[in-house]
Amino acid sequence: MRRMSAPSPPHPVRLVVRDDLRRRRLTVFFRLLLALPQLVWATLFGTAAFMLAFVVWLAVLFERRAPASLHGFLAGYVRYTVHLTAYLCLAADPYPGFTGGKPYPVDVEIDPPAPQGRLGAAFRLLLALPAFALASSLAGSMAAGSSFGGSVGSAAGGLAITVGVLGWFAALARARMPRGMRDAAAFAIGYGAQTTAYALMLTDRYPDATPGKADPPPELPEHPVSIAIDRDRKRPRLLVLFRFPLVVPHLLWLTLWFVPVVLATVVAWVVALARGRVPGLLHRFVASFVRAVTHVSAFLLVVGRPFPGFLGREGSYPIDLTIAPAARQPRLGVLFRGFLLLPALLLSSAYGGVAFVAAVLGWCAALVTGRMPPSLRDLAGVSLRYQAQVTAYALLLTARYPDSSPALERPRPLELEAAPA
Amino acid sequence: MTALRFAIGAALVAAWLALAWLLSGSAVPDGLELPHVDVSTVFGRALVARTERYERLLLVIWVLQALAMLGALAVWARFGGRYASESAAGPIGTGMLLGMLGLAIVWLVQLPFSLVALWWHRRHDVSHAGYLDTVFGGWAQLGVTFVALSVALLVVMGLARWLGSWWWIPGAAVLTGIVALVLLVSPYAYPGLERPNDPGLVARYDRLAREEGVSGIPLRVEKVSDTTSQANAFAFGLGPSRRVVLWDTLLDGRFGEREVDVVLAHELAHHSSYHLPKAIGWFALFALPGALLLTLATRSRGGMGEPLAIPLALLVAAAWMLVTSPAQNLVSRRDEAEADWKALSTTRDPEAARRLFRAFAATSLGDPSPPTWAYLFLETHPTLAQRVAMADAWAARNGVR
Repeated sequence: MRRMSAPSPPHPVRLVVRDDLRRRRLTVFFRLLLALPQLVWATLFGTAAFMLAFVVWLAVLFERRAPASLHGFLAGYVRYTVHLTAYLCLAADPYPGFTGGKPYPVDVEIDPPAPQGRLGAAFRLLLALPAFALASSLAGSMAAGSSFGGSVGSAAGGLAITVGVLGWFAALARARMPRGMRDAAAFAIGYGAQTTAYALMLTDRYPDATPGKADPPPELPEHPVSIAIDRDRKRPRLLVLFRFPLVVPHLLWLTLWFVPVVLATVVAWVVALARGRVPGLLHRFVASFVRAVTHVSAFLLVVGRPFPGFLGREGSYPIDLTIAPAARQPRLGVLFRGFLLLPALLLSSAYGGVAFVAAVLGWCAALVTGRMPPSLRDLAGVSLRYQAQVTAYALLLTARYPDSSPALERPRPLELEAAPA
Repeated sequence: MTALRFAIGAALVAAWLALAWLLSGSAVPDGLELPHVDVSTVFGRALVARTERYERLLLVIWVLQALAMLGALAVWARFGGRYASESAAGPIGTGMLLGMLGLAIVWLVQLPFSLVALWWHRRHDVSHAGYLDTVFGGWAQLGVTFVALSVALLVVMGLARWLGSWWWIPGAAVLTGIVALVLLVSPYAYPGLERPNDPGLVARYDRLAREEGVSGIPLRVEKVSDTTSQANAFAFGLGPSRRVVLWDTLLDGRFGEREVDVVLAHELAHHSSYHLPKAIGWFALFALPGALLLTLATRSRGGMGEPLAIPLALLVAAAWMLVTSPAQNLVSRRDEAEADWKALSTTRDPEAARRLFRAFAATSLGDPSPPTWAYLFLETHPTLAQRVAMADAWAARNGVR
């Protein structure tokens, strides 16, 4: 008999996005300078908040609940860091207020104080370490990102920071922030806010890394390269423990395979420049390679359960890529593909850092429980999807630019029908 | 049909024996009688007692590790097939997964014994390796083992699925070819080898190489002194990739120039006597019956082409290697004895050889005269007592002291 599990209540710290993507070039150009007073204020505000958090910690230990006034103050601080981070990362345009009390285009809703467990409260900072690690790789919080694991975040550039840098150029050029990048930054900011709120004793609910949890959820436009993730959470511990050595033969094989793939891509580039289309045979050969890389990466990152094959056949692995057949490509885009690729490569590297942290945490969790936390699985899955799209774009499988949205999959038709009006 | 099989079998056995005879030639004079060596007198009573104590626990650990390996593989052979459902890699890929997991389990069950052995080495100042390095290094190193196993299984399972039960004849040949290829290219990929920075050492090496007729083989030094105090050297490679490698622990002042010359001459003798090409031949000779045994043993599970046969094949292969290790060690000891003899003939310095072997006992704590079973199953070289005896025999034959 299967038990029906009750849907979990909404997280006490919820991301709300009301941004219209428009940006004023003047404030974008001077964004960092304009934020300097805010950064000074954030330091003072943060010092006060962290001192008060200690008082709240004692209150929760004894009373199991944070005093409402202190809770309100700390909630204001968390919201303020959200506004400021969103402003810095170009996830929002208006100049933020200094109290965190007013609504902002990228904001969080924080529930009033609720009873908390004493044991969890006693070890709160220790328990928060994995969340801090993930938050720093996302770099989505002025508070959490700077307080722990800076090396993890800086190694990958941090997702939100990378979005901010790339978004600066995009917003200056088009006076708009690309939706996928805005959503990626907003997701990072939301997770950072949940982590800060957890560390500051605003809630005892652990931060939720599930990508795409926002109001409204991020969009994922149709793309010639899409991923399907199997929902199976079980992971045999033996395969988890030896995951890395088990993929070493695959890594060697993929390295050898990469040589003809590069040659094929060079030929495809010349042909595409001449005919505006990559030959079907080369397209299929390179697509198999990209699929094989995704299968192996999914296994290595504990996103996938079974041991992957070597040939990258479509439908052969539960985490699978669908790559559309060869289509016409604009010659200019083909000619400058290497140059156009650079921003996507930077973002791919940032997503790779996030996936690495998610995989390490997931590996530990799966080794202990025999199950992969779905939020970490999906987060690493988003990274896999984005990296596959970047690789496909680089290897001329598609002319469509990678979509940096943190959404994992497009809603299925059935889900669309079932969704309330 | 039976007569045909009998004829093929007889031909193969005859070919096997002929090849073994060809490979068995040695520069050591036929009927050489080694004089008796009193180990207490030559090595000192205290050192002998210390090496025996040191080796005793290591032998116990070896036995326990062998039992743990066979036990783990027996359990894996029985239940490992369940993990076939954890593969999306097709039959050969699934076989690779089952093979790799089998070796992973062996590593896991042997790990506690390895750590005890490391503790023992550290206690006797033979090793300086860290415990965490050993655990995580071993875990990561499994990847290299897995690559080798995957390649072997790709060949074996691919041929078995193509040729059926006759795969073992071309299979042994292909595996031998792969071993030869690995031996050829491994010197180029071997990390951490450096040119010696002592011109005197290089000059002596060149002179010895000329005397043995193998000039042009590079000498390299491997830095191991941060993990062990044991002294060692080895020869590897084929044709253009041939190398002689000295551990830097041989050059730290504990061994004199004359002793190092004996080591150099010994390693050069491996090349001048073609021991490495011969080792490939011996591999082929052992691989052929081993492959046949695998074919017969896995018939009940559909043969070596089926992934479910792989856990059983691992057990059979491990048992085969254990059972044949006395024979393989015998071959190895013959080669080592020949290298010792040629080194003595080249250096004409039996006294340096005696000092070298006595120093090996002191620095590596090798038992000069181990128990017979350990000698059969573990010793790839003649015992230190036998090596001293050979130096004595050479001296007596050549009128040198």
